[in-house]
Amino acid sequence: MNESVSIFTLVGRVSKTVLLLVYALFALFPLLWMIIMSLKPDSQMFTTTFIFSPTMENYSAVFLRSDYPHFFLNNLLVSISAVLLSLIVGVPAAYALARFHFRLKEDIAFTILSFRFAPEILVILPLFLIYQRTGLYDTYFGLIWVYQLITLPLLIWILRGYFEDISPDIEAAAQLDGYSWWQVFLKVLLPLVKPGLVAASLLCFIFAWNAFTFPLLLSDARAQTSTVVALRFLASDTVHYGQVAAAATISALPEVILALLIQKHLVRGLSFGAVKG
Amino acid sequence: MRIRSPKFAFVVASIGAAILLAGSPGSARAEESKFDWKQASGTKLVVMLNKHPYADAIIKRLPEFKELTGIDVEYTETPEENYFDKLTTALASKNGNPDVFMTGTYQLWDYASAGYMEALDQYLNDPTQTNPDYDVKDIFEGVLNGGKWDLVPGHQTGTGSQWALALGFETNILAYNKKYFDEKGLKVPKTFDELYSLAKQLKDWNGAGSYGVAVRGTRNWATIHPGYMTTFTNAGAKDFEIKDGKLISALDQPLAIEITKKWAQLVKDGGPPAWSNYTWYQCGADFGAGKAAMLFDADILGYFQNVVSPDGKKGSDQAGNIAFAPPPVMKEGDPAGANEWIWQIAINKSSKQKKAAWLFMQYFTGKEHGTWAAINASVVDPPRKSVWDNADFKAVMDKAPGYLETFNTIIEHTSVKFTPQPFFDESTTNWAATLQKIVLQGADPKSAMTELAKSITRNTSKLKLEQPEKKPSTSK
Repeated sequence: MNESVSIFTLVGRVSKTVLLLVYALFALFPLLWMIIMSLKPDSQMFTTTFIFSPTMENYSAVFLRSDYPHFFLNNLLVSISAVLLSLIVGVPAAYALARFHFRLKEDIAFTILSFRFAPEILVILPLFLIYQRTGLYDTYFGLIWVYQLITLPLLIWILRGYFEDISPDIEAAAQLDGYSWWQVFLKVLLPLVKPGLVAASLLCFIFAWNAFTFPLLLSDARAQTSTVVALRFLASDTVHYGQVAAAATISALPEVILALLIQKHLVRGLSFGAVKG
Repeated sequence: MRIRSPKFAFVVASIGAAILLAGSPGSARAEESKFDWKQASGTKLVVMLNKHPYADAIIKRLPEFKELTGIDVEYTETPEENYFDKLTTALASKNGNPDVFMTGTYQLWDYASAGYMEALDQYLNDPTQTNPDYDVKDIFEGVLNGGKWDLVPGHQTGTGSQWALALGFETNILAYNKKYFDEKGLKVPKTFDELYSLAKQLKDWNGAGSYGVAVRGTRNWATIHPGYMTTFTNAGAKDFEIKDGKLISALDQPLAIEITKKWAQLVKDGGPPAWSNYTWYQCGADFGAGKAAMLFDADILGYFQNVVSPDGKKGSDQAGNIAFAPPPVMKEGDPAGANEWIWQIAINKSSKQKKAAWLFMQYFTGKEHGTWAAINASVVDPPRKSVWDNADFKAVMDKAPGYLETFNTIIEHTSVKFTPQPFFDESTTNWAATLQKIVLQGADPKSAMTELAKSITRNTSKLKLEQPEKKPSTSK
């Protein structure tokens, strides 16, 4: 009996591993294909075998012979700054919405959320006009500001759940021990919501990094980001698929590196607070 | 001043004569210099460009333009996929930014009707603003007319004001893999039926998945305008007609239905297997990669696949193997023309730098830049006749067998074949959707086209067929 159970368990484990492996291959294949394309010369782009003469030509065309690195750095600067600004504004806002009771609280929370689900194209024309008139058009600050429409609602709504999960008794206990309100916030509450903070920041960064409509219409040669500029390799004379793939591979790197670095917090952060008691 | 001696007078006269004589060989230059290129010196222009070889040619010569005119240019170059979204937003803001923009000939009908474009006639007719050497008659009539319209829906291009001038244009023709055709002794199709039989026969010609002829198929106006519209109008079919003062779709006419039926058959039996996803990019890529034996699309799309740069870098796998022929017609001997697409530049009506904007337009649509760009910067097809006669340009084009001959054969009958009207985008998108229904779902061409014509007419029959300026005033 024992033997048959262990064989059963073994088969179960093996098939589970095989299935997971197959799924991992399935999920990673587009990334793998993108990397392969980035290493292929144009003349072999449409072969469907894995045999080709690898070349770094596409990377050198994108990074040494075009201004793509400038726009890549733009994207990095604008996205990181947008997330930082959202953290500065959003964390206290999330706390206030979770902890305090005031008039129109839910209306305000819903209004903030509505910024997220309003289609960008719906608000772009008035924004475009305002930006042009106020000199915010094609500036880093202009983009960082407008990105708050993407990042802030996400951050506030994720963190609000975390703050709601922390018992007010913990704050009271810390205050009894002699902490001022600010000390309670910084030394007790923030460490407790750290997994959520990390997960929300990463999600915000990904959404900001991938933003397209806002940088397309509210910026030009100076502040434009790599998401818009990557399309330039789809030239009218020919599509440089290798260069598009090289640009996309490099573009994916910051997100991949960040996700790997904070993987530990990410899993905890995304699952924590999901179930309310 | 009194002349001191006869000797002194002789010296002065000799020097004067010498200067006059020395100046005479440069009389043409002296004539040209009469035009004041510096009249807007110190101005700064904002120009919006679509990412394209035509735009790249402009960017490369901005230093020369600045040296000649003293005008600074700030430009943006946006990928074509999103260019018109960005341009429409910018023009709708009516704040004068950009001063000059690239536009396509069909989009012009929207922009001119909306009052976003500056009419150019006043500049063209003003000798102080237009260089006498500009020579507007040097531009092919069909291409020049592509930028002219009287803003009356249903009236053809070539009427009314000049709104834009061409940087370059495209005709729609048949490109084919000459190497393969020569090896197999295949005859280049002259009629549509020959094209159909050959495309069907060429299935899997170069391995599994290869096919006869690359044509576009997405649910988009761009599916209609190349090979399909060229075949459609070469056969004598029309998209619209004016009946009882109303603009009525003619897509339910027997000839329109017959052409559509034949086109759908060509796509089914000889076109790309994933036809409904095919845009400019997929068609060009398949043809260049040796997946499609023929390409019924823009001449320049085939041309770019055929380019081999001086350092031996190939534009595609099949570069050097490609040749060109006129679009197949319904009956042999019928005159072959083509529907054309034109990339143009125009001035924003709200621009505050119109004088400088016109100098910019003039320089970059002029003979000198046009010739340079055609020879050095892949600006095919150039809009000026003099460029096509240029020996250096001919030498470049000779590397593309049949390109010049094809161009010369069809140019007389080449023009914008669509009827201008403000529902262009909507009606051609529906038209493409109907094509998809016929090809993919096997819908009956007659009933599908009749339904399509009805839906288009529902919109266009409401249009007032008169010039906006002549509308009676509604003020009390």
